[in-house]
Amino acid sequence: MPFVEDPAQLSKTRLKSDLVAHNVELPPAASKKEVYVELHLKHIDHKNTADFSSDDEDPVQDVEKKQKESQDSEVPDPRRLTDDDLKAALLQHGVKAGPIVASTRALYEKKLRKLLQCDGHDGLNGAEHKAVLYSDSVDEEEKEADSEQEQQETAEEPEQIQQQSTELPPEPVKGILKDFIPDTKTTPTGIYATSRRPIKGAAQRPIQYAYPDTPVSPMTLERREVERHLVPIQIQILVFIALAFILYFIYVNVEDSSSVLALLDSFNQWSDSEEGVLPQVMTQDTQSVSGQD
Amino acid sequence: MSTTSQKHRDFVAEPMGDKPVTALSGIGEALGQKLEDQGFDKASVVLGQFLLLKKDSEMFTDWLKDASGANSRQAGSCAQCLKEWCDAFL
Repeated sequence: MPFVEDPAQLSKTRLKSDLVAHNVELPPAASKKEVYVELHLKHIDHKNTADFSSDDEDPVQDVEKKQKESQDSEVPDPRRLTDDDLKAALLQHGVKAGPIVASTRALYEKKLRKLLQCDGHDGLNGAEHKAVLYSDSVDEEEKEADSEQEQQETAEEPEQIQQQSTELPPEPVKGILKDFIPDTKTTPTGIYATSRRPIKGAAQRPIQYAYPDTPVSPMTLERREVERHLVPIQIQILVFIALAFILYFIYVNVEDSSSVLALLDSFNQWSDSEEGVLPQVMTQDTQSVSGQD
Repeated sequence: MSTTSQKHRDFVAEPMGDKPVTALSGIGEALGQKLEDQGFDKASVVLGQFLLLKKDSEMFTDWLKDASGANSRQAGSCAQCLKEWCDAFL
């Protein structure tokens, strides 16, 4: 007997992960283990041991293959995947999904659908872009070799291209580049990363927005701004008082001296006593002024 | 820095406590009502959704647009508000 493990002895989750690793379409959610075992046997064992194709299995395989091809070429309808399968599929495309709960599931399904569409439509562009992406982290010789390979094989499915370009797995490359160049639109996966604010210069990221060191509320910031103005404000007050005195002296020179003396007396009284005296004095003064005119 | 609204600054200034959804920047009466109908009656619940999406602004704006019918500006403002709140208090 060969080295091949008996799939029936593997656990269901192990079978699922094996199928995903070999880019096999997963059956509908909550299928019986037998279905996974069959797929495992068909695809994985079929790839490993080419000599083992028996006459009995071939027609069965052909029928199953036709059934599979009638569905999408990629992983079928995201809606029918389990939470784990959805997470695994997103991970395949380099997306680290958070918990897939009732409220988040719809979002992640939509995301997966977008990724699948982009994979299908941009297969040609994706190959070229992958060549460009690889050039950032690999020697140019390898890039030319890869691009030549990919140009020859653009007719085939992008999955096979991924498998054949064994030099670099696509997922970490995309992830790294997103960190380095957050502004570029990574078209192969269709994920458009809008540049977000980095967290206060953490992890060597440039501080685009100068946050204060302590989490200061805007209220204290406004108070600080006001305090900053207080020194010039004092100067402004002094200047105002000086101007007032200058105008007063001009007024003194223009007007009659008697009213000026009364004003002086009133002001002297006011400085010693309370402010209540001033209105009385002011009314007297206005009467005297009107009397003179 | 102050291209933010007063509502934004008020929200980010202190722990949100039991504030209603309408206290969030970008969420007015109409949007707040729609969110409450779906069960997001407090700002903290919306914060929960934001955290579930791993504080990803893009995904959160998509969710908010679907859930409440917000436009891009409103959703972006809300996401920015929550992100800053998290940076300050979380």
